[in-house]
Amino acid sequence: MEFAESLRLSVRAVRSHRLRSALTVLGVVIGVAAVITFVTLGTSLRADVLGQVGGERSPNLYVWAGPEGQNGGPGAGAQPVFTTRDLDQLANIEGVASVVPRGIVPTAAISAGNDTVAQRQAIATSPAYFDSGSVADGRAFRQGSREVVVNERAAGLFDPSLSVGATVSLQLASGDSVEAEVVGVQNSSAAGGAFEGLDGGSQPLVFVPTDPFYRTTVESPATGERQRVYPTVTVVAEDFAAVPDAKVGVQAYLTNRSDAARLVPDDYAFAVRSDEDLVDQLQELLTTLTNFVTGIAVISLVVGSIGIANVMLVSVTERTREIGIMKAVGAQNRDVLQLFLIEAVLLGAVGAILGIPVGVAGAYLAGEYIGLDLVLPYEWFAIAVAVGVLVGVVAGLYPAWSASKTDPIDALRYE
Amino acid sequence: MATSDSDAGGTDSEAGGDPGPDAEGAGSEHRQPESGSRPDDGNAVALRAVRKTYYLGEPVHALDGVDLVIPRGSYTAVMGPSGSGKSTLLNLIGCLDTPTEGEVWVNDREVSALSQRERTRVRGQEVGFVFQTFNLMPKLTAAENVALPLVFEGIDKRERIDRATELLDEVGLADRAGHRPNELSGGQRQRVAIARALANDPAIILADEPTGNLDQETGTQIMGLFQRLHDEGNTILMVTHERPIAEYAQRVVHVLDGTIERVEEIESPRRVESDGP
Ligand SMILES: Nc1ncnc2c1ncn2[C@@H]1O[C@H](COP(=O)(O)OP(=O)(O)O)[C@@H](O)[C@H]1O
Ligand SMILES: [Mg+2]
Repeated sequence: MEFAESLRLSVRAVRSHRLRSALTVLGVVIGVAAVITFVTLGTSLRADVLGQVGGERSPNLYVWAGPEGQNGGPGAGAQPVFTTRDLDQLANIEGVASVVPRGIVPTAAISAGNDTVAQRQAIATSPAYFDSGSVADGRAFRQGSREVVVNERAAGLFDPSLSVGATVSLQLASGDSVEAEVVGVQNSSAAGGAFEGLDGGSQPLVFVPTDPFYRTTVESPATGERQRVYPTVTVVAEDFAAVPDAKVGVQAYLTNRSDAARLVPDDYAFAVRSDEDLVDQLQELLTTLTNFVTGIAVISLVVGSIGIANVMLVSVTERTREIGIMKAVGAQNRDVLQLFLIEAVLLGAVGAILGIPVGVAGAYLAGEYIGLDLVLPYEWFAIAVAVGVLVGVVAGLYPAWSASKTDPIDALRYE
Repeated sequence: MATSDSDAGGTDSEAGGDPGPDAEGAGSEHRQPESGSRPDDGNAVALRAVRKTYYLGEPVHALDGVDLVIPRGSYTAVMGPSGSGKSTLLNLIGCLDTPTEGEVWVNDREVSALSQRERTRVRGQEVGFVFQTFNLMPKLTAAENVALPLVFEGIDKRERIDRATELLDEVGLADRAGHRPNELSGGQRQRVAIARALANDPAIILADEPTGNLDQETGTQIMGLFQRLHDEGNTILMVTHERPIAEYAQRVVHVLDGTIERVEEIESPRRVESDGP
């Protein structure tokens, strides 16, 4: 039996039960659309995130000590273990250009004029933090002075918004209050640095010089002096080529000779990550996330295919007599199998083809909502159609097979 | 319309292409069955010691040792009470079923020894079925129903359409080609079914109570159609339980409890006066 004729007969069978076929197709549409939506969002999210991170790589090494075996982002679970001595020693390692400490000053609020805004923390660091040129307006603070840099988001919390020259009052968590001058406003679109997280720019950030603001200290085991101690450190390599060697050097120093090695809790480990490591880690995380969500979407596709199988079984039973007639006039088992299989594939393929635009529309709406630029995963459109066909074949195989095995006499007798 | 004779030469190469000495179209009308004829001597159908047993706890012999020869071009009726094995007999000849014992020959070929695949081919090519309940495909038009056997034989579309048009014209339904079965009367449906049975130029037309669901007048029209097909050289085997219908045939095979009770020759078969549908 020629394929075109099978197709024609199958189309007619599908069309003779419009509502039933439509509902079955709908099941597949939803499944395919769910997969397409989540894959599109996943692809777009990855492109977006990697675009942000990968866009401005720097030859940095992010150093912290976190609980062993944990895979969090930079600074996750960091304990203050890096002493001022450690910073000096790290700066002497071959290939290292500078070392930028970063610590947290717990605060309660910031006031300017009559406005007071709750703010949990200020970031204490050195002026080198702003070497990448992220201060859009003004300059970096100077070490040893009561100066602050705020990002645009933090500046915007006040009315009128903070600008260079304004005076703010930092209420520290200890209860003390410190007056400081705003000397710079950081560009919000500038990534806040790996430790500030991917969305750093969208949070209000207040930066202060470690001297005089940062007060967390410890007795350096090597020198016996009380020194400032930091949870996270950025080691800037001379250039990208120097990163791998610097990384080895930093790791070796930290494990063997540092104060940090002696201060670090037992089940903590040092993490030394380059931008590239972070991107890899992020990519892995995104892949896991995308796969997980897509996996859930695939379940709805499986449900859709069960719908096809169900409808095909009903269809075969309903058309037992027709199968008998076809066999009585010379239809081979193969012909009957082909007819029903094409019917199932038709339902699956139509569902997939309709599911693609629906899925893209879903991704578009979700993307609008969360402000994500869509990247369409075109190869998945082809995959979706292939999956639709496959779903049809798998779901239709048993019903079609049982149809093909129908005994013609029994079938002709069937009422 | 081709005779069953030329059909044999045309479609059954494996039987050696022996058209047999008989079956010269309408000329074979009064040919007597030879009791001693070999199964492979050019008859349309021959059964040798055929037994069909169903095992439902007790074995039920639907057919219990049947010998029967249907010469080419003959018109035979089968009569008998309900449950006597008439349909079973037709199903065996039509390759819808296989005998438990014995041989069934169709068009010089032992179909009881064929594979399922080949028996399906015989169904499509060597026999044409006409059923009491018409058994048309409800979603296909009259023309598509007629062309259905050709579809499974792989005949191309143009040829299928030509053939279906020709056959519908032959049964007087040229103007109903595009109608679905539910738009046709019972008699029209049966005529579509007959046209379908003729689609592959079969060696024999097997009709199981073809008038059973029709009123008398429509039944007579169908008999008129069979009469014309027979006159044109077709071989017909028809099951009926109505004596007047059986008398249109040349001979009546009486079946009782799965055996052939007797074969009655009809001296002058009834004829339908105006056989135009
Ligand atoms: N599939 C079957 N299973 C069991 N018994 C059957 C089957 N088909 C037919 N029979 C039995 O075989 C006998 C002959 O049936 P059938 O040929 O249909 O009779 P008829 O057509 O003469 O009325 C009946 O007794 C019937 O019950
Ligand atoms: Mg019967």
